[in-house]
Amino acid sequence: MTLVAIAEQAMNGLIISTFYALIALGIALIFGVLRIVNFAHGEFYMLGGYACYLAVTLLGLPPIFGVIFAVVILMMVGMVVEQALIKPIHTGKVDRPDEYAIMITFALAILLLNLANSIFGPWPQRPAPVARGIFEFGELIIPGDRLSAAGIGIVLIVGLLVVLRYTWMGKAVRAVSQDRAAAETFGINITQASMLAFGAGAALAGAAGALIGPVFNVVPAMGAVPAMKAYIVVVLGGLGSIRGAIVGALILGQVEVFATILIPDSSRALAYKDAYGLVVLILVLLVRPQGLFGVAERRA
Amino acid sequence: MTLLQKILLALVVLAAVLPMVGVPQYWLYTLTIGLYYAMLASSWSLLVGYIGRISFAQAAMSGLGAYVAVLTGQLLGWPVVPSLIAGVVAAGLFGLMIGWLTLRLHGAYLGLTTIAFAEILRITVTAEHQVTQGSRGLQVRPLIEGAGPVTYYYIFLAAAVVSVLLMLALLHSRIGLFFQAIREDEDGTASLGVNVTLWKSLAFAASTAFAGFAGGLYAHFVQLITPSMMSMQEMGYILAMAVIGGFSNVVYAAFGGVILQVLLEALREMGEWRLAVFGVIAILMLRFAPNGIFGWLETRLKRKDK
Repeated sequence: MTLVAIAEQAMNGLIISTFYALIALGIALIFGVLRIVNFAHGEFYMLGGYACYLAVTLLGLPPIFGVIFAVVILMMVGMVVEQALIKPIHTGKVDRPDEYAIMITFALAILLLNLANSIFGPWPQRPAPVARGIFEFGELIIPGDRLSAAGIGIVLIVGLLVVLRYTWMGKAVRAVSQDRAAAETFGINITQASMLAFGAGAALAGAAGALIGPVFNVVPAMGAVPAMKAYIVVVLGGLGSIRGAIVGALILGQVEVFATILIPDSSRALAYKDAYGLVVLILVLLVRPQGLFGVAERRA
Repeated sequence: MTLLQKILLALVVLAAVLPMVGVPQYWLYTLTIGLYYAMLASSWSLLVGYIGRISFAQAAMSGLGAYVAVLTGQLLGWPVVPSLIAGVVAAGLFGLMIGWLTLRLHGAYLGLTTIAFAEILRITVTAEHQVTQGSRGLQVRPLIEGAGPVTYYYIFLAAAVVSVLLMLALLHSRIGLFFQAIREDEDGTASLGVNVTLWKSLAFAASTAFAGFAGGLYAHFVQLITPSMMSMQEMGYILAMAVIGGFSNVVYAAFGGVILQVLLEALREMGEWRLAVFGVIAILMLRFAPNGIFGWLETRLKRKDK
């Protein structure tokens, strides 16, 4: 294998990592604040793809507005879902909160998937990408649609980190995820922070969907695989850890591109591509449920 | 016997006489599929409703039972009954393994682990297409050569009733009490000398063995199986069926399976929308009537008695 080929694979891994990180950060944010895993996250991602399709293909807006549109719409969807379905967990209106949270988000995933199937049909759609053509870095050639999508993804991730670190809102969200009771004592509005975190989490997934939609088509079932990857990433990094989500995404992206080319029988290697991460997921959960950066809980 | 129990018993009796009163074959076919889902939904609720362990691997376990049953028949030349048993044993052992490996995990962590196991199984079955035919689907011999829909219907009805009765027998024994005690307070139960490790693993094994049995029967009824029977989409239907029927009771969950499958066929004109509607109903149920239709009926009827 030549150096250029290795660099190309590494670059592909980095681009994929950006999208994994976007989706995973949403899951981490939601888990941090609300202590639940959102099993409908892949469907939020899918809705982001369709929001982009609506804005770009049907309304004819420029592609960058597709991403903005997706972020805004999914933020609202997330906040409504949080208010209607998740909030009752924390106000003591639900008998078995753990199981309820898992089942209600899983049922929501089924609902959103079938809703998209009913409204848009199972046919793939392809909104226009932000940029076309190819970028050449010496001998390294990268398709422009992917590179531009990853670039915007990185901007969004950096933006999120800045908001979390320096704004009052971000500090409130981080405080709640560190210690719910203490945050409340210090006057942080938990209800608001929860709604915000869930909305932001959904918006991140939506942004990822809107960015990838033009590259790999928009279809109702598009969320299943990336969501699974994002669960692997957050578990690897530690559920609820922002840093963990980013590091986990970087690791998974590289593992996937290189594990695939290391196996000689190429068709089988490709078929098993999605399984490597799942094995990692199981191993991490069994050996170290708190992941690389998570906080150990007595009951994982 | 409460009024609700009488109604449910009457429904089972009604199901037994349906073929004699000239119900069209199409509906018998639908009911047979419904009984398959009844077994899956009730075996899932055995795990989730009683011992409080969540699993998203039920559809995959049904698929495992189906593929093992079919492949032992095709590759080793086993007759139908031993190969069905092989499917049950394979699914049960796999469940035992998951149950034992995940002893430490709860809630979302357990959910994610079971999804991973389920997806690895599905991916493996799809990838090893030399053996399983992958997503093209595997042809399966019939359960009984030349049997008609009425025969299959009765076989599935008997299988579903026997499965649910076995689950009830298990749950009404001491073991059932251990399950519920573990669900309510695991540490407390352990401190009273109950072997929590054993029962938690066994609950998984029992639940998946029933799923494997259902899958093996299903394969020999529809006579073509694909890896999609192990998908998360399929798992979603099982969850919706158990939730709408009432996942805290294996009988209610079983009825949820049959009723939902019949409604899915009856509302075919609605196209994909009907699946979305069931999603809405499942969410509303979880939120406002967590014991499902029958659980809700049970409390309503009880209140009237007083």
